Amino acid sequence: MRKVLVIQEDIIILKILERLVELNDYECKAIRSLDALNIEDQQTNFDFIITDILFEGIAPLQFVAQVQEVLLHKNLLIVTNMGQDKIKKEIFALRGVTGFYAVPIDLDEIEAIIQAY
Amino acid sequence: MNEATVLFFIIIIFSILVIYWVSITVSIIYRRRRTASLTQIELTFADIVSRYLYNDPKNPLTLPEITQTLRDVGIKEQNKNNIQYLIRLMIRTQRTILGSNFYKLQKLYAQIPPHGVSIKKISSWSWYRKARGIREIYEMNQSQYFDEIFKYRNDKNIYVRREAQIALVVFLGWESLRFLPYLKRNMTLWQQIKIVEKLYDHYPKPELKWLHRAYKTEKLFGKKLLMRIIRKYELHAETDFIINNLNHPDYEVRETAIYCIQTFAVSTPTMDYIKRLYDEIPNATQQGQLLNYIYENSDIDLDFYLKQLYGTNDDLKLSVAEILWNNGYKEKVQEFYYQQYPNAVLNVG
Repeated sequence: MRKVLVIQEDIIILKILERLVELNDYECKAIRSLDALNIEDQQTNFDFIITDILFEGIAPLQFVAQVQEVLLHKNLLIVTNMGQDKIKKEIFALRGVTGFYAVPIDLDEIEAIIQAY
Repeated sequence: MNEATVLFFIIIIFSILVIYWVSITVSIIYRRRRTASLTQIELTFADIVSRYLYNDPKNPLTLPEITQTLRDVGIKEQNKNNIQYLIRLMIRTQRTILGSNFYKLQKLYAQIPPHGVSIKKISSWSWYRKARGIREIYEMNQSQYFDEIFKYRNDKNIYVRREAQIALVVFLGWESLRFLPYLKRNMTLWQQIKIVEKLYDHYPKPELKWLHRAYKTEKLFGKKLLMRIIRKYELHAETDFIINNLNHPDYEVRETAIYCIQTFAVSTPTMDYIKRLYDEIPNATQQGQLLNYIYENSDIDLDFYLKQLYGTNDDLKLSVAEILWNNGYKEKVQEFYYQQYPNAVLNVG
């Protein structure tokens, strides 16, 4: 079964994304920080990782770099409150980021992407 | 001081310490329970919203089920703090989501338990509760209460009318500008900025017919608001409204016009018109600000600058001299300088 990892500190966004993903026939692991990952997760090749970039103790760009380095994945979507153009440009400059969605978000766009996959 | 007195003091101090410790312990236990309770409400609400937005046909979520679940975690009429916390969560969620889900949430909010709480606040005697109620209603987009809110647009309390006017903008968008000429009380700068930002967030596409109708307003705050809207939306075709207010008799209207025009570059004939208006501005500081704008947005017009150089205000002369000096007209500045001292003798060596 196709797998998605959702990382969001905001529990409401986390739950909504988890539900969205599950109803589209994906297996979803929803966590609030990277600390909740286990060894098995680090060996899984996720079809999508949908993550925030704002976490305590780590800079946004470093966080994205860390996710890209530590977790196997095919697509990386960013869903964040930090929607400034500067951040967006810097995130895309890292490469390997499939999409960047700043809050407020239209969840239909994210659903369309995972349905099209 | 005998032994009994010392013992008495020790007992008193010890009693005070015991009271402190007990109160700290009670406070810690209360905080823990309260935090756990709020976390539970947040989790439950997150679960409800996610299931409501993406309802599983095999296990559908019904309204009675939602109501019961919320009651189970303490969302009851008598528990006002929990209801207020839930309202905060609802507003936070509403701000997070756009598109079809935004309207689904709006529908949900009209049906779940705290839906009557915000409207009840509007009837309160306290201006604070009233303003808060209005804010909650527009943040949750509960447009069915529009008529209730509308009557507070001229309220004597600045916070109540500010929230009511923002609610008008949220519910009516550009059409709300038609009420601008009829507002009776002043609108502060902060209020204007809030309105412009809300309009831009909710209605990013301009509807010029409402803007044109609002131009008729004679209210000074109305003119300032309209100029800020033109600036925010970068409506190049509407800059005439700003330009025509550059020489307005009111200081603050002129100040806003000068501030707003700086966002736009204008054509040469329009710049010539602005240069003509420049002389009609009765305040030297504002003339200086406009002079900077003219300098930064047009080629050097020697006649215009020389006219200002031989004008009456020393500060402006200094600015003009600096512009001419830095743009290849040193001799004109020197000529101006020497003509001030026609009989002076140069003593060298």
